[in-house]
Amino acid sequence: MFKKILFATTASPTCDNAAKVAFDLELKWDAKLIVFHVLGVPTRGYSPFVTDVRTGEIEQPDPDYIEWVKEEMKNTYAVLLEDSENSVLEAAVGVPHREILRMARKENVDMIIMGAHTRADDVGATKYRSIAGSTMQKVAKAARCPVVIISRPCTTCWKLFSNIVIGTDFSKAAHSAFLWAYRLAKEVGAKLHIFHAFDISGANFAQAQGQPEIEQKIAAARKRIEAAYIPLMKDFDNYGIEIWEGIPYVEILKFAREKKADLIVMAHHTREVDPEEAELGSTVEQVVLRAACPVASVNHPDKVTERVA
Amino acid sequence: MLADKSGKQYYEEMNQLEVNRTALWSVIQKTCRSRIRTWLDICTHCGLCAESCFYYLANQRDPTQVPSYKIQSTLGQIIRRKGDVDNAFMQMVMDTAYAKCTCCNRCGLYCPLGIDTGIMFGYVRGLLFSQGFVPWEMKIGSGMHRVYRAQMDITTEDWVDTCEWMAEEYEEDWPGLTIPIDKTNAEIMYTVNAREPKHYPEDLAEAAILFHVAGANWTVPSEGWEETSLAMFAGDWEACKLQVESVYDAMDRLKPQRMVVTECGHAYRATVIEGPYWAGLQTGKTPIESFHYVEWVAEALRTGKLKIDPAKKIKEPVTYQDSCNYIRNAGLGDAAREIMSYMAEDFREMKPSREHNFCCGGGGGLNGIGRYRQQRNIGLKVKRDQILSTGAKLVVAPCHNCWDAIRDLEEVYRIGIRWSFLKPLLIKMIEVPEHLKPQEE
Repeated sequence: MFKKILFATTASPTCDNAAKVAFDLELKWDAKLIVFHVLGVPTRGYSPFVTDVRTGEIEQPDPDYIEWVKEEMKNTYAVLLEDSENSVLEAAVGVPHREILRMARKENVDMIIMGAHTRADDVGATKYRSIAGSTMQKVAKAARCPVVIISRPCTTCWKLFSNIVIGTDFSKAAHSAFLWAYRLAKEVGAKLHIFHAFDISGANFAQAQGQPEIEQKIAAARKRIEAAYIPLMKDFDNYGIEIWEGIPYVEILKFAREKKADLIVMAHHTREVDPEEAELGSTVEQVVLRAACPVASVNHPDKVTERVA
Repeated sequence: MLADKSGKQYYEEMNQLEVNRTALWSVIQKTCRSRIRTWLDICTHCGLCAESCFYYLANQRDPTQVPSYKIQSTLGQIIRRKGDVDNAFMQMVMDTAYAKCTCCNRCGLYCPLGIDTGIMFGYVRGLLFSQGFVPWEMKIGSGMHRVYRAQMDITTEDWVDTCEWMAEEYEEDWPGLTIPIDKTNAEIMYTVNAREPKHYPEDLAEAAILFHVAGANWTVPSEGWEETSLAMFAGDWEACKLQVESVYDAMDRLKPQRMVVTECGHAYRATVIEGPYWAGLQTGKTPIESFHYVEWVAEALRTGKLKIDPAKKIKEPVTYQDSCNYIRNAGLGDAAREIMSYMAEDFREMKPSREHNFCCGGGGGLNGIGRYRQQRNIGLKVKRDQILSTGAKLVVAPCHNCWDAIRDLEEVYRIGIRWSFLKPLLIKMIEVPEHLKPQEE
């Protein structure tokens, strides 16, 4: 299911938890792991200067500098590399999300793994303030393969999967997310929890639905899941369906906790990716930040079913 | 050469260079024509150019920063000495031509005799290049143009692939979006700055979106897509010619009605204003009519091809950075004002503005030269104060170099501003016709 995995890392402790999972996956799936670090953000006009992503210092990278960064990466991941069988270290200059997407496209990877790069410390100048935080958003939106975001230590680490939660909002992207979650659950023998949160927050709140109406919507959502997803699973029967009402991100987190989820799968199809306006605003970001388990963002049909993959 | 950290070895080797005096004098005799000779002769040293130079203002009115002094003590001396100058002198000339002049041409407006020191320093850079006295990064840049016909190492394959990639990535949000490559007889042939495909391909996608929404019949050439010219900044005359010829060839090949170039200042100056002379075109004009992006945007807004949603106009105070390379060199000040009248509710002019505007502080290739970082940062003070006095927190800068310089001045001086190209602002503000919106099932 995963032949090539791209681990996009800041090469800093932020990504340690993600690193552990990435290297574990390489072994579990006999995959090729590309450990990739984008080291400097270049200017818009002509200039050799870049702002080092980790230090915020201005640098003039040259081939030696890139080699030196790779050497540092080797040290950072020395312990993990010991057991690794098929991994390569890569570094490049560029805007992080763009270079990650470029690499994913070039290598045609089956999955991207990232840490939750939400850096509190304002490294670098004002100009790059939003870059680290929005990298994940931009990669998740545009990547043609699932993007798994890991922010907390992951105990099961994909070796012993037992519960996968798929949160759907019935969008086209969520359909892809479902297909991928189903395929993964089948492959690793986990239970698939199909979940929908009926949104009674924000704009919907003003509609002042009464309990009967909410019940009605929930029943409708269940029918929709049964009609849209169940036939696709053929003889796979290790699944459950639940629909809760509330603020979607809160409900999905509560649900994942209750089911002891090892992975949450969601679509991430916000149209606007404006780092200033949408930063950590959407449901996915909230889930990523707060979830105890990894979160996979799947938005495109490309790497979802076996036929295509 | 690329592996030489900050050009350390390069500059050490430069110290060993022997000036070929005969060659230098011979080049001057062949290329220093009556305009420059007259300018050097008729300068009365009146000093009226002093206050026109942002370097003079930023450096506490240092008399050695007066344009007339700068050119007389360099080019003037070389000619008076018939090329009999040494290595140290040439390095002083290089430092002056790059770190004391951005070729912004502002002094030319203020000289009662019309002497343009910026043009003369452009010429001096050519002399410096011929003798090997050129900043490391400029040497690399012009070399790239010679090899790739672009300022960066982007092959035709890379470029075409990037166009396909961007169409692929944005097609979902913009159904029907394409980046047509090598389409003949299109209305518009679009050309870019190599930084875009190399590091910021979103810019290309944004251009495609705006053409798409405006219903333009457009194309990009697979070769001849790069409009910038570091060769111009480097004084590499030969590469200048090679570079613009690649664009003109694309025009001849694809026969579009006109060319539009991205939001880049020097690219326009190189290809549209200077280029025809480098390529020896008798008309002094590009083979087809050529527009800067601001002209296209102004036209699209005027004719209603792009419509701004009135509710989304910029409410906060906003100012506009006139790029020297298309304001003083092509007089596009009106187009900029027209655009701002559609986009902004509270547009505030910098003072002075239009053709009297000061250089951003990073023009002429200066942003990219490590050796002169300090001088550049001092020069940025003038732009900083201009922006501060508008009270605007948002600066529209439709030029890659200005964009960088303004960003860098924020980094150095922290005045709490933001800056943007036109494209991302426009995409947020335009009305998108129903049939171009994505259909959610």
